[in-house]
Amino acid sequence: MRRYLLLSLLAVVLIGSAAVLAQTARRSATAPASATVTFTETIAPIVYGNCVTCHRPGQAAPFSLISYEDVAKRGALIARVTEARYMPPWHGDTEFGGFIGERRLTDAQIATIGAWVTQGMPRGDERRLPKLPEFAADGWQLGEPDLVLEMPAGFDVRASGPDVFRNFVIPTRLTEDKWVRGVEYRPGARKVVHHAIFAAVAGGSLAALDGADGRPGFGGMGTVGVLNGNGQGSQGLGGWAVGATPQMMPPGVATRLPKGADFLLQVHFHPSGKPETEKSLIGIYFSDRPPDKDLMTISVPTLFGVGAGIDIPAGTKEYSIKESFTLPGDMKVYSAGAHAHYLARQMIATATLPDGSTRSLLRITDWDFNWQDGYVYKQPFTLPKGTRIDATITYDNSAENPRNPVSPPRRAVFGEQSFDEMGAVLLDFEVVNKADKPAFEQAIGLRVKEAIQVAGKNGTLGRFLARANRERGGRQQLTVLDRSGAVITRVADPAFLQHAAMSPDGKQVAVLKVDSDTGYEDIWIYDVATGTGRALTNDEARDMAPVWSADGRSIAFVSARENTFGIYRRAVDGQSAEERLYVQNTGATIFLTDWSADGKLLTFWSNDTMYVMALTSDRPLAQLVNARGGRFSPDGRLLAYNGLAQPPGRFHVYVLPLDASSAASLAASLKATPKQVSIDNAIGGLFWRRDGRELLFMSQPPKPLVMATDVTSTAAGVESGTPRVLFALPPGVGGPAQLSSVATPDGDRFVFALSLPPRAPTR
Amino acid sequence: MRMPALVLCAALCATALTAASDGLQVRSIDGRAFALFAPKSPVSAVFFIATDCPISNWYAPTIQQVCRDYATRGVDCTLVYEDLDLGATPVTLDAAIRTHLREYRYGSITATVDHTRAVARRAHATVTPSVVLVDRAGAIRYRGRIDNGYADLGKPRQHVTSHDLRASLDALLAGRPVPTPETEAVGCYIADPAAIQKKR
Repeated sequence: MRRYLLLSLLAVVLIGSAAVLAQTARRSATAPASATVTFTETIAPIVYGNCVTCHRPGQAAPFSLISYEDVAKRGALIARVTEARYMPPWHGDTEFGGFIGERRLTDAQIATIGAWVTQGMPRGDERRLPKLPEFAADGWQLGEPDLVLEMPAGFDVRASGPDVFRNFVIPTRLTEDKWVRGVEYRPGARKVVHHAIFAAVAGGSLAALDGADGRPGFGGMGTVGVLNGNGQGSQGLGGWAVGATPQMMPPGVATRLPKGADFLLQVHFHPSGKPETEKSLIGIYFSDRPPDKDLMTISVPTLFGVGAGIDIPAGTKEYSIKESFTLPGDMKVYSAGAHAHYLARQMIATATLPDGSTRSLLRITDWDFNWQDGYVYKQPFTLPKGTRIDATITYDNSAENPRNPVSPPRRAVFGEQSFDEMGAVLLDFEVVNKADKPAFEQAIGLRVKEAIQVAGKNGTLGRFLARANRERGGRQQLTVLDRSGAVITRVADPAFLQHAAMSPDGKQVAVLKVDSDTGYEDIWIYDVATGTGRALTNDEARDMAPVWSADGRSIAFVSARENTFGIYRRAVDGQSAEERLYVQNTGATIFLTDWSADGKLLTFWSNDTMYVMALTSDRPLAQLVNARGGRFSPDGRLLAYNGLAQPPGRFHVYVLPLDASSAASLAASLKATPKQVSIDNAIGGLFWRRDGRELLFMSQPPKPLVMATDVTSTAAGVESGTPRVLFALPPGVGGPAQLSSVATPDGDRFVFALSLPPRAPTR
Repeated sequence: MRMPALVLCAALCATALTAASDGLQVRSIDGRAFALFAPKSPVSAVFFIATDCPISNWYAPTIQQVCRDYATRGVDCTLVYEDLDLGATPVTLDAAIRTHLREYRYGSITATVDHTRAVARRAHATVTPSVVLVDRAGAIRYRGRIDNGYADLGKPRQHVTSHDLRASLDALLAGRPVPTPETEAVGCYIADPAAIQKKR
């Protein structure tokens, strides 16, 4: 069963220094809140014992709390956050003897801090100031690891926007199975890494997902989950949250890391206000012998509630799921954990012993998805056969829940997305009497079977799969077709794509891609042969409509980065700084469609007016109303475009002779009477063949076709032949969405961002 | 345990939106003297921020976006740093703030350091990040949060549902009354250097 479980809670636990805690308890428990409280005598011991593990230079906390000044200038804030028990961050309690490393102040300590602030924060006698606890030097806290893994490439986190969940696949290259007794995680960009979850997966099993969108790893929070991205299991290896101090597993406990496995690192990023790049390090500590304790994990409800029928109506303030499990034998409990998404508010697991007494195993009354701790009991304890474990998870799907990921609230059902819900309390335990082990395995196996059956009956499974299908249906895939419309190749994985543009050498495609996690729109460049992609732009602003320069070394594109649309240029190899070519101050959307072969002119349209501008100027030289989608002929002497036609909503393809020798001649040439080339309604996909003698375009409904027509230009004017059909436009491509180079210079290969038909479920 | 009296007063004593039309001379981080609360623009947005307050930093892109959006409509932005680095000289603090301005991409927005808290006192600002809007007459017309992106400390909202600063700006620019002239900002308290004991 363990392969299903999200968290193996023993691998890394969060503890402070036990010695420091003990010292704090001795010094401060007796301090009465009414007497004069000074920093050196009373406050410093509390702060040093509970805060400085993180609140010191180089650690995750945003500021240090070491000197009197550090603490006094934040006195009111400290009083407030301790009183609210937001700091130190700790969310679980138990009636089974407490957890290792509880970061929790006593009521007396909190009162003392409040009294000190009220009294004006006296400094006290400097000689009474305790020594700052000694911390291990920077570096590996658990000592030199047996295996150090590093993210192969840095991952860029934007300055703002929604939280990002990203999975990184790191090959272990182990040539034999190993037993893991500890994992230490060292984030690089501590300001933005909020928590991380570790797992082992079969080597190469996630290769198709990894880097598919051109950035390191892949998005989403589901893969280390109930159902893996590839349908295979993952072995939990613990996790890390801000404030965590790494710790080895208890003696005799270890987790198998199979040879050739990939280490899967799922990181939750919370933007900090400035761009950051994360490149995590993972240290793994091996045990030289297999574990002598055989730990099992139970999830209550089973499989994170897949069979609990989670279906929370929008606006519901309180909604609970409950499940019980009665022990078929004695179990020795080592640790607990909890997992749910944003709507969960409370998680409570209790044990009702055979004598009828009830004690809380784990109680989280203010569940915060951002602080997912593991809870290791100070002293493992035995629950006798017949004990009933009850778990209750309570959700708040109202608008008043600030953590609600959907606004206004929507119905939430079981699922792996951040706006879905799930929930379970997990217990890691050892079967006390080996003879009981089959009974435990049978009981847990039966629960899983039942949960899946219930999920099948109550629609949870169906909804889950249907959503997965819908998501797939909404995506496009870059598809290269030949002149007869036959598919030559599909490039990279499906994604949310628009505005595909073929590079002049036909080897790359520039495209607008919408990030499925953040919704950000950036320009990506994909290699046609390998399918690998990379982000040309990476920012919150909407970037779109890429156009290649004739030499294929630059891309001009539209961006709303200055809160109005403008045109920018970037080197494809990223070697030179971005250049702003034009800013339109009206705020209207711009669609860039071509860059002349000599590199001197751009054409774009906005509000059905087509503009031609020189790169040497900061404003358009000429314009034509009721026109869109301009394309310069390769010799620069003709301009093809889509003109608005009758009845409204219809377009035709027109060609004009162009004289760009001066601004005046350019403006004059746009005033000439154009030659109509198309016969049927046609818009989008205009493309001149390299020799300038053939013009390709798209005919729209009623005839969605890719057309070609011969064009000749003489002193007498422009002549065109009868358009001929090359092939039917593939279903799922909108002509107007194909703005720029739809084909290779010889017009023999086309690229489309093709919407995929919904696929049958794969699992 | 109640909230410390100091904090309560800071929150409650500042409810009156006062005029401060005589202006307040301050020096920008690049050495230029100018008058706050005596703006030349129709509306001046004065943001109170701090380099070491995570919520204040989290709002940097939002502040920049609002300032960009309203720049052409006659809204002038100023950043007031409420850092209190008791170990630093004014020179080293200014250098740290220049670094912060660069790292958080504040660009050309005017910034000043409120070493003595004179600006915060005048504006009755108690929290970073917060903002006051000053009209051409020097009257404070809005004071409080930028939006409701944080429900409480440690509780970032997944969706901002109340864009208080934008709503106030839109109202002022249209000559309408500000819908909610005072809101409670969530963030870090602005410390008063005078309250911190230098001696024991």
